[in-house]
Amino acid sequence: MSADAQARWQAAASSLGERSAYKRVWDLQARDPDVASLSVAGHTDEATLELTARGFIDTLRSLVGVGPDDVVLEIGCGIARVGRPLSAECLHWFGADISAGMLGHAAARLRDRPNTTLVELATVGLQEFPRDAFDLVYCTVVFMHLFEWDRYRYVEESFRVLRPGGRCYFDNFTLDSAHGWNVFMEGARYPLERRPAHLSMSSSREELGVYLRKAGFADVRVVDLPNELIAATGRKPD
Amino acid sequence: MSAAPQEPDPRVAALEAELAAVRRREAEFRAKMVHEFLDRGERNTYLHVLREERAALIKRQQESFADLEELTRKLEAEGSRAAALEAELAGVRASWAWRLSAPLRALGRALARRAPPPPPAPAGVAGGVFTYYLHTSPFRIYRGGRFTLRGWAWPQDGRAVTAVRACVDGRAFDGRHGIEEPEVIARYGPQPANPRPGFEITFETPPGRHLLSLEARAEGGPWLRIMATTIWCEPERT
Repeated sequence: MSADAQARWQAAASSLGERSAYKRVWDLQARDPDVASLSVAGHTDEATLELTARGFIDTLRSLVGVGPDDVVLEIGCGIARVGRPLSAECLHWFGADISAGMLGHAAARLRDRPNTTLVELATVGLQEFPRDAFDLVYCTVVFMHLFEWDRYRYVEESFRVLRPGGRCYFDNFTLDSAHGWNVFMEGARYPLERRPAHLSMSSSREELGVYLRKAGFADVRVVDLPNELIAATGRKPD
Repeated sequence: MSAAPQEPDPRVAALEAELAAVRRREAEFRAKMVHEFLDRGERNTYLHVLREERAALIKRQQESFADLEELTRKLEAEGSRAAALEAELAGVRASWAWRLSAPLRALGRALARRAPPPPPAPAGVAGGVFTYYLHTSPFRIYRGGRFTLRGWAWPQDGRAVTAVRACVDGRAFDGRHGIEEPEVIARYGPQPANPRPGFEITFETPPGRHLLSLEARAEGGPWLRIMATTIWCEPERT
């Protein structure tokens, strides 16, 4: 990761007061490819992107399963870090993101993946998609950038667009891990007036579990992952 | 004594295969349904109208830049022609024959009607053959101390661009290259040697008339001129 990209990332930050203006905040982050990659994945080189995506797919496979006939939706797909390798393992991969700029980078990375479709979300929610359509909906390393109400909005929208029997996966970091506490303290060190809009915010196990149960999911589980994230999974009842 | 392994019932195997095929068709149907939903929603949205308008505006902008470039060329050619004619005229008027000979004046008029000489080739590096486009047109009156040229380019001989720069009256300003241009790649197809053909160069624009030369270095080769033009810089308006 170059210091230059880090500096440009800092320059692209919006103030915390604009956190709800997701489209503007993330389009700003997406102007520069390296900044886009840094802001959604924490690194810029393709090999590391591929490696971390493979790790996530292994997690997804072990927790909710991924099948060759699955129609899959990723919420907040960013530059399609996960979508690119995952598209080789499912029938069709849909990537949704609120930032057209991020989707521009994703499109460049998915040029040789015909079974992929990118969709720009107009606002928080999945109103662009029909109900009962997907076998699997997942959302990874996105919730930390959202307010709690918006996190829940995506969970209940996932319930709507999943087919009966479809599975869901959501993750975030917690405060009670070393990584989570470091992220929290990094945020705490920002001067009040300079807190950036994309500042990461944690979830608790209870929070994610409540979201899924309130949305109507069955078989809800919240598990601790080896990478110090927590993941909530569920199934839409038949 | 263990029981002998039973042969799989061929009817069960056939039913399982049929069930798998049905599941596959059902998933394909759902993926198609999502696409149709997206298409219908896209056509009906204000966003779609805005995108069409944006495409039309970009086309118009490109046409305007092309017109402006042609006008600048004409102006340069006319300037060269005027300079040549003035030099000739001065020479004629300084001669004794001018004062004495009406036929020589006629000859001077005839010379003035001759085709203008071609504009002098810009000094500096040799010209290369590039496919290029400049997002920030250099054909303008420059106001302010600096200007950033943004665009994309690749040599038509298939080599990779390894550096870009702008020269103002021979003074070089290094630029940044390797910037993503997904819409360009989508339009022109993959460019294996230049997958990220975008660049940006900031150069100083002191008041006066200057020669601007946009140059690139292709792998294993010398600097080549992409394009060059006369520019006029004026003090910033206060």
